[in-house]
Amino acid sequence: MKRSTQIGLAAVGVVLVASFWPRGDDSSDENLVYNSLADCRAAGQLSASQCEQRFNEASANHLRDAKKFTSTSQCETEYGSGSCQSAVWNGAQVVIPALAGIMLARSFAQGGGAAQPLLPPTNQACPPGSQAEGCQQARSSSSSSSSSSGGGGYRSSSSSSSSARAYSTSSGATVIARAGSSPGSATATSVSSRGGFGSTSHSYSSSSSS
Amino acid sequence: MRRIKLAPRPNWQAEVERLGFAFHTIDGETYWDESAAYAFTLEEIERDIEAPTGAIEQLCFAFIERALGSEEILTKLAIPDMHWQFIRDSWQRGDRNLYGRLDLAYDGKGPAKLLEYNADTPTALFESSVVQWDWLEQAMARDALPAGCDQFNSLHERLIAAFGALRQPSPYRLHLTCVQNSNEDKGTVDYLQDCAVQAGLDARFTYIEEIGLLTDGRFCDGSNVAIETLFKLYPWEWLFRENYANALAGAQCQFVEPPWKAILSNKGLLACLWEMEAGHPNLLPAFFEGDPRCASLSPRHVRKPLYSREGANIELFERGKVLDSDDGPYGAEGHILQDAATLASFDGNYAVLGSWLVASEPCGLCIREDTTPITKNTSRFLPHYIEP
Repeated sequence: MKRSTQIGLAAVGVVLVASFWPRGDDSSDENLVYNSLADCRAAGQLSASQCEQRFNEASANHLRDAKKFTSTSQCETEYGSGSCQSAVWNGAQVVIPALAGIMLARSFAQGGGAAQPLLPPTNQACPPGSQAEGCQQARSSSSSSSSSSGGGGYRSSSSSSSSARAYSTSSGATVIARAGSSPGSATATSVSSRGGFGSTSHSYSSSSSS
Repeated sequence: MRRIKLAPRPNWQAEVERLGFAFHTIDGETYWDESAAYAFTLEEIERDIEAPTGAIEQLCFAFIERALGSEEILTKLAIPDMHWQFIRDSWQRGDRNLYGRLDLAYDGKGPAKLLEYNADTPTALFESSVVQWDWLEQAMARDALPAGCDQFNSLHERLIAAFGALRQPSPYRLHLTCVQNSNEDKGTVDYLQDCAVQAGLDARFTYIEEIGLLTDGRFCDGSNVAIETLFKLYPWEWLFRENYANALAGAQCQFVEPPWKAILSNKGLLACLWEMEAGHPNLLPAFFEGDPRCASLSPRHVRKPLYSREGANIELFERGKVLDSDDGPYGAEGHILQDAATLASFDGNYAVLGSWLVASEPCGLCIREDTTPITKNTSRFLPHYIEP
């Protein structure tokens, strides 16, 4: 076969799978993220029932594994405003961080691997008002959606920094889907100038690429 | 090789937009054109496209060795002498390259002929790698094409693998950059960033106009983060002549494409390859303008500036008369003359094949069509498939 076996586009949350391919030739651990059941269905490569199954699976794991709170404010202190939902766990009313998406290992397409639930980023990773773009994406969509409805896929933004969205896992790890230009480690050096590249393209009307 | 007319998917715009393909229509004209597709046999792909592409890449490597030791050649290629050592160092270190695209004339009848090598800043990548791949899957799924068709296109998985191997230790921090206000360039870089993230890299975008210089000589992005590895969809010949040109060598930055690609992304390459391997079945006779041997060229030939993109400033001559040309800003650095190749021509369309290399391995094909014999930035992209 002379074509790729599978194409994952994290930016638009799409997994494309070739109709057939030789098995077992690649075991790399790429992960792909769908923000919602609607995203998964809209992608069209998994059947609607497969999408539903993966989200149900992730929701069940989520409810089991997510940290339980007794009040919304406690939960929001940890996961940010608008990031929590109520749920019933073992007959008790609890508050848990909303499911922000699911992450699929590449191997899922070959039949293995469960969908991992993704939670909103913790306030520790994304403090309120954080300018890190992964955080902005996460906050703006988590405040307008809950559970597995709405939200939408993240797309490349027109701003100068890249599109990225932050999540956390049930175990508290931070996941950045599609890394952005959050400020890196502090350096002792400072900027001496800016704008020394790009002048040629502005004097030409044609493209810089071919 | 055949050109097969096919009914476009009724909702083709939505189908390609679903993939994040934003420039299927450019200035109101169709760019992604699925009203037809090119069909190849596996033998045509492997014998006539894939093998010659690999052979030409090897020839190019031999030429780089020769050029780096020859001030005469570097001067002819109009590379500023202050950057010669910078280029030599990148080659000696073995700086890895990511990708490139050979433009070939091929009509299924004779050997493919090299028109030029887009070695530094090729685009049409996303539509080659993803959009035509998905098009084929859907065409087979709805029985528009027989099941069991294939495509010369493992670009996506090769790009991810290549990003992981560009630098050690990996994963590393990668910046990607292109100019502002170009949807096509930004789309290409967005796609490459996606591949880099899937390779596990810490990939960050910054516009080239935002790049700054730190007091320690390194470049930095718009957030002042030092740039250690930079993918730049911006030609070396421009970087070599802009304000930061004298900061390049001391920037402690690994560039992708590496500086040695400047030797290849230059139409002078075509004259130099012919000089090395005159009569090679995949090369067209070509000479620098002013070389007396230009008189030996066919009356039907093409005049190309050393630096030119998307067909700009290329002129097609027939017996001294200009048949076709494309205006543009290039040409001050000199020209080459090259025999005109016979382009594949079907139904009044001329096709140029783009043969992709990732990490110097041939691994994909794209086809661009125009109604004139010069492929320009207005040319349409057509998908292809390999017949079962």
